Amino acid sequence: MDLTPRFSVSEFLEVVNQTLNYAFPTVEIEGEVSSIKTSKNKWVFFDLKDEESTVNCFTTVFQLRTPPEEGMKIVVRGTPHLTKAGRFSITIQKIMPVGEGSIKKAFEMLKEKLSKEGLFNPAKKRPIPDNLQTIGIISSTTAAGYADFCRILNNRWGGLTLKVANCGVQGLSASDEICKALDYFNEEGAVDIIAIVRGGGSKDDLAVFNDESLARKIASSRIPIITGIGHEIDESLADLAADIRASTPTNAAEMLTRDKVAEIANIHDNLSHVAQFIVHYTDTLKSTNISAITSISGIIEARIENAKNELRNQQKLLLSLNPEHVLKQGYAILSGNLSPGSKITITTHDKLIEAKVENVHKR
Amino acid sequence: MSINDKITKLNTATQWFYSDDFNLDEAETKYKEAFNLAKEIEKDLDELKNHIEIINKDFTK
Repeated sequence: MDLTPRFSVSEFLEVVNQTLNYAFPTVEIEGEVSSIKTSKNKWVFFDLKDEESTVNCFTTVFQLRTPPEEGMKIVVRGTPHLTKAGRFSITIQKIMPVGEGSIKKAFEMLKEKLSKEGLFNPAKKRPIPDNLQTIGIISSTTAAGYADFCRILNNRWGGLTLKVANCGVQGLSASDEICKALDYFNEEGAVDIIAIVRGGGSKDDLAVFNDESLARKIASSRIPIITGIGHEIDESLADLAADIRASTPTNAAEMLTRDKVAEIANIHDNLSHVAQFIVHYTDTLKSTNISAITSISGIIEARIENAKNELRNQQKLLLSLNPEHVLKQGYAILSGNLSPGSKITITTHDKLIEAKVENVHKR
Repeated sequence: MSINDKITKLNTATQWFYSDDFNLDEAETKYKEAFNLAKEIEKDLDELKNHIEIINKDFTK
């Protein structure tokens, strides 16, 4: 008995599609883009090929987060199936460029497009809020970048609540996960800032942060966003769309927190300056007092000297008026009745002379 | 009082020394207060830890 199944064409295609769907519900295929066609500005068809083979791909314009170009190397995630016309095709859910050249080209194209839309406008950037209490972190909890970020935060400051959305940070589904985490934080609204962190990696690893939807989601976030992705040289669309770009996860942690060691040193410095100020102030007061005392002493001494001089002058005057002084100058004091025949006494410096008045004439 | 509030209080306390209100009679008391507040802040900073909370949600779905 022949057990070979017999189908109608439609049945056969349906069975093959079921088999494909069972074996490969989703696949990722890496290849080079060729023969891109857009229909009605809605449907996108292109071939994905390597050196030997080609596969047809189909997607919608709305699902294109990275614009494919002729010759661009990409990895697609999608579902394989046979169309009703019997053509084998991949219905694409996601595209990501691979290889440095393709990533750079896709990045530049999207950067220009989003820049024209004003997504990266510096005037829209918000600063890190003051007095941070709660930080929303989007990262993979197993990633080195996340560990660095938390370690630096813990070393620098305390008392913060860190709410962590554990997401993939590389691979085709990572950008969707990050977008969902951003939605979660924006809907919950329970964080002051959102930090998207991921350590260094290859261009392919970091390509997730050049996703158009992710860049748009970041730019439209109600809550300010800081990115710390890769290294200083790795610039992504996520970085450009964020409010603040830190060069690394470590740098992001440094930007978000004060350093308690520096804060304590600053407090010690301030107190030390105050102590020095008090010492200087009291020294100045002492010095002022000493100056005042010195000045008063000088005034008193001058006054005493003046008084002494005055006294000396008085003494000189008194001395000059002393009769004995006059007598020493050769003068004499004549005492007694000045009439002829009377006796008088003549007092000189060293003698008392008794004399008799003979005549008295007017001068 | 939060650490930030304490730091603000300490800054205000130290500014007093450079203000017109400064006087030597109160300086010693004010300095002791500032010194004790500084010690308190240092202790708080050493003891304070961040609280990490992993959100219980699967973002792959």
